[in-house]
Amino acid sequence: MNKPKIQDADAVPAPQLFPTAAYAPGRAYDEMFAADGGVRPHYAALHDRMATLTSAELAERQRMLEQLFLLQGITFTVYGADAATERIIPTDLFPRIIPAKEWAQIEAGLTQRLTALNLFLADVYGDQKILMDGVVPRELVLGAPSYRREMRGLFVPHKAYVNVCGSDLIRGEDGRFAVLEDNLRVPSGVSYMLANRDASKRTFPATFKAAGVRPVERYPDLLLATLKSLAADWRPSPQVVVLTPGVYNSAYYEHAYLARLMGAPLVEGRDLVVHDNMVYMRTTTGLRRVDVIYRRVDDDFIDPLTFRRDSGLGAAGLFNAYRAGNVVIANAPGAGVADDKAVYAYVPDIIRYYLAEEPILPNVETYLCREPAQLDHVLANLDKLVVKAVGESGGYGMLIGVHASAAEREAFAERLRAAPDNYIAQPTVQLSTAPCLTGGRIEPRHVDLRPFILCGEHTVVTPGALTRVALRRGSLVVNSSQGGGSKDTWVLHDDGGEPPP
Amino acid sequence: MMLARVADSLYWIGRYIERAEHISRLSNVMLTASLEQSEAAAEAAHMALAAVGDPDEHLAGRTPFEAVRAMVFDRDDLGSVVSSLARGRENARQVRDQITTETWERLNMLYLRIIDPQAEAEFDRGQSAFLHDVVADLHLFKGAADATMSHGEGWRFLLLGVYLERAQLIGRLLDVCFGEAAGGKPLQDHLAQMSLLRMACALEPYLRAYTADLQPRFILEFLLFDEDFPHSVRFAAAQIETHLLRLGRHAEAAAHAGPERLAGRLNARLAFADPKELTASGAGPLLRTVSDECARIHQGVYETFVAYPLEQRLPA
Repeated sequence: MNKPKIQDADAVPAPQLFPTAAYAPGRAYDEMFAADGGVRPHYAALHDRMATLTSAELAERQRMLEQLFLLQGITFTVYGADAATERIIPTDLFPRIIPAKEWAQIEAGLTQRLTALNLFLADVYGDQKILMDGVVPRELVLGAPSYRREMRGLFVPHKAYVNVCGSDLIRGEDGRFAVLEDNLRVPSGVSYMLANRDASKRTFPATFKAAGVRPVERYPDLLLATLKSLAADWRPSPQVVVLTPGVYNSAYYEHAYLARLMGAPLVEGRDLVVHDNMVYMRTTTGLRRVDVIYRRVDDDFIDPLTFRRDSGLGAAGLFNAYRAGNVVIANAPGAGVADDKAVYAYVPDIIRYYLAEEPILPNVETYLCREPAQLDHVLANLDKLVVKAVGESGGYGMLIGVHASAAEREAFAERLRAAPDNYIAQPTVQLSTAPCLTGGRIEPRHVDLRPFILCGEHTVVTPGALTRVALRRGSLVVNSSQGGGSKDTWVLHDDGGEPPP
Repeated sequence: MMLARVADSLYWIGRYIERAEHISRLSNVMLTASLEQSEAAAEAAHMALAAVGDPDEHLAGRTPFEAVRAMVFDRDDLGSVVSSLARGRENARQVRDQITTETWERLNMLYLRIIDPQAEAEFDRGQSAFLHDVVADLHLFKGAADATMSHGEGWRFLLLGVYLERAQLIGRLLDVCFGEAAGGKPLQDHLAQMSLLRMACALEPYLRAYTADLQPRFILEFLLFDEDFPHSVRFAAAQIETHLLRLGRHAEAAAHAGPERLAGRLNARLAFADPKELTASGAGPLLRTVSDECARIHQGVYETFVAYPLEQRLPA
């Protein structure tokens, strides 16, 4: 192999980059280091590679990576005082690696969970047996803001209400994965998964090849096949479109990306016309029938005649066309009721009820404040818990007990007592940490995991995921709106490191 | 088949990048000419400023350098290079799924470069090099579009925008030099003649066709009627006709009084024009026809492909 060249007189010796002491994982589970300080076997190759790179080389690779994202326009828009600026989502150089055995469990768990949730949706919009049997409280489901009574008794192809799901998984201190949230409405991030993969193939080509990483590149065509399967029974070659709120939406890049890779038109509400309960798009050669709409617009906005009247993002009459069975909307309107924060607490029971199986992936322990006994517990332990409002998302209406002052906790306790139905509480989970490059140093940062599951005629879990990173040291918040970043996720073919023959 | 909104965006990308390229070239030639200590310097500046539609307004009082700086960087001026690139790119972003990554990257990179806070400093260090690079990058964009996009409907809308804009821009430039605005004063100065040819990207092709014998009459003929030179008005008109004929093939029968007929007429008019007539009556009337017909074609494109009335297209 190449021997090092003769060094310049003034060349600085490469700084030792990876002294384990400097890395200092906290009490959280670390993805790379075991508790005894040893490197976990599936990380060994990457660890060795990292140790050979100087911080200047790392910085250069990081810069290349960011340049690549900027050039391709993989950006989200931030609206400031005078002008809108585009930023890239901060992307970390080092992949997060998941061994095959762990993945097999995640895959089985997610498939089981989504199967049960689809059965649950078919039931609550159908016969409501689960409510009759008292497994899930009736008022909890029917009173949820995301419950759409317009969906009662409608035909949904393959009973697949949720066609694209992006669950949030976390790994607790014991190293076990648990589901934190089921995102069943319009989950995003899949374009970052694909873009991160592109990037890490460039930054660590040899390590990537040697590791035997399962490919994620089939996602777009699997998505297209899933969407087509929803209309294939009555239309020989269904026309699929992606419905976007438009170029000002923060996830616009993703909408355009998926449309491009599926070869499906990217439409906005103003491109659609509903006539005689059929949906058409305006093309240069006239109107053309649309069969399946992969909508990236929230329920509330898809049809001003049925839902919010002030919406300009949907198409008037769309829901009636859906009701008439002339078009498929994916995900189905009303699917959000199954990822409601209070319903979440019942998902293990939902799995047992429909499938007669024990849940493979556990929930995070959740206290429902609507139950008096649990409310007492929550009030007594406010300083240790995270309390979330049921109807809110994105970190609003939330109390993180550990970080709150006594006065804040007292004020929140008042709100809890006033409307306990509105709140749930969970213990503060230390998310697992993974090595990240920050400020020229490699440090542990908390991460979560968002895999993507497709469900039409079949259910498919993409062997990969978006790993979201909390960029500030010690922070547990990974949302990109709150300054989170992302990194590539390698799911290995098998734990020996070699792909199967 | 493509979305009407998408076709509209592609058409405007074509128009905006052609405009950005033209203004950059004009600015560059004007700056170079202004280095000379002669009448020609003022004449080139007048030509350029008049051709961008600002004969005696706010740019006129400034030094050529300041005027060019504004023509490139002034965001409040909708005709400036930075505005055109920003709008072209905004349109490209809206149809990101329709243009290839290679094409998009060229435009995005150029846009990021010109809005960079360092861009003006870079411009101040070397105006000519900066403008030259902008033009070269736009050529790369067109090359990438040609080499990587399917030569189907979307590509044709893009090129339709390019050539319609070009016909109008070259037409306006000629009008400044030979039309009524010029007051019948022939373009005598050698340097001014060279500048005009450079502004139309025509110097080298002209020399090959007519040798270094610069004659206002020949210049006008070349820029109006040459069949093979891509920046002549006739060439642009022929391209407009070709693209519209192909696009119109799929449009429904109702539209057949449409833009391709107008384009064919304009093209025939230029192809069979008698250069002698031009000498007798001046170029003014013909140039005005070109400008009017281009506006009508633009209108026709909208009515046929983009903003058609729905009632005619609904299934019975």
